[in-house]
Amino acid sequence: MIWSLIILCGVITFLIRFIPLSGIISSDLPLSVKHTFKYIPLAVLTPIIVNDLSIIENNNFFLIENFKLYAALIAIIVSIIWNNVLATISIGMASFLILSNI
Amino acid sequence: MKKWQIFKQGVLQELPLQLGVFPFGIIYGVMAIESGLTFLQALLMSSIIFGGASQIAFVQLLSNSTPYGVIVTTVGAINSRHLLYSISMVEYLNKLSLSWRVTLAYLLTDEAYAVSIRKFINHSDNSILHYHLLGSGITLFLSWQISTLLGVWLGNDLPEFLDLQFIIPLTFIAIIIPMIKSKSTLITVFSSGISALIFKNLDINFWIILSGLIGILTGMASSRWDKKL
Repeated sequence: MIWSLIILCGVITFLIRFIPLSGIISSDLPLSVKHTFKYIPLAVLTPIIVNDLSIIENNNFFLIENFKLYAALIAIIVSIIWNNVLATISIGMASFLILSNI
Repeated sequence: MKKWQIFKQGVLQELPLQLGVFPFGIIYGVMAIESGLTFLQALLMSSIIFGGASQIAFVQLLSNSTPYGVIVTTVGAINSRHLLYSISMVEYLNKLSLSWRVTLAYLLTDEAYAVSIRKFINHSDNSILHYHLLGSGITLFLSWQISTLLGVWLGNDLPEFLDLQFIIPLTFIAIIIPMIKSKSTLITVFSSGISALIFKNLDINFWIILSGLIGILTGMASSRWDKKL
């Protein structure tokens, strides 16, 4: 089943990249449609981030000792300042390790 | 310029970007093994899907026992931006043979596009420009496969104290922060994030898709008041 899932995702990803080049359909999408594409990755990835930070656990807010949340905030600041993937991940990870071991 | 020189230029211009791609591939490899995929599944996913963020989302959702339909939709949604890349390449590639178009479509990822579209725009009169995309795409492909292999190999040998699951939100933070360039994109982030908190705790199965839709709709609705951040 996992193999089918991987292959299906592969086919969908390939088709997304190939359909405009295939010439099957017109590549002139309306501007309004093109405009929505910039929101999609943000709208899909943010929920995954929020879920991984466990801000709500068992219907209660988990904020005070939520070291992942603090480390994520530090990572956000690092990303805004340096815009560097490696720095964001390594400083975020280091902050989490330090905070959870204090 | 000859074909080989243009190909080499694509390779050389793509190489510096591997500083960001390579660690990302290692992280994917490690996470894939952690999520329970076999060595072969983890490795081959990098050539079957060949899309970094979507592969990491795939293994993260898989380890959370997410319904398969949600995993497929999420991968498609994350990679949907490639449709725009492909559209912008049509005018340069539409005269090529089918096998060329299939190959180049497969190699059309973020980093290869970023490097080659600049070349295309500046030298649009050249009929062998596609060798540039072939060069940048193959470089990225090889780097992604090698880094995945390294991550898969490291996956079983990392110390316990490293909470590797936490690398996923950190990776996604590194991806989305540079994408927030206007008020409406910021609104998308906040509205999809808050919706996710609510829907997840209401035990709604399709919480990712639902919160994603709300994020897209609020972003679009607010775009008329857009201002660059």
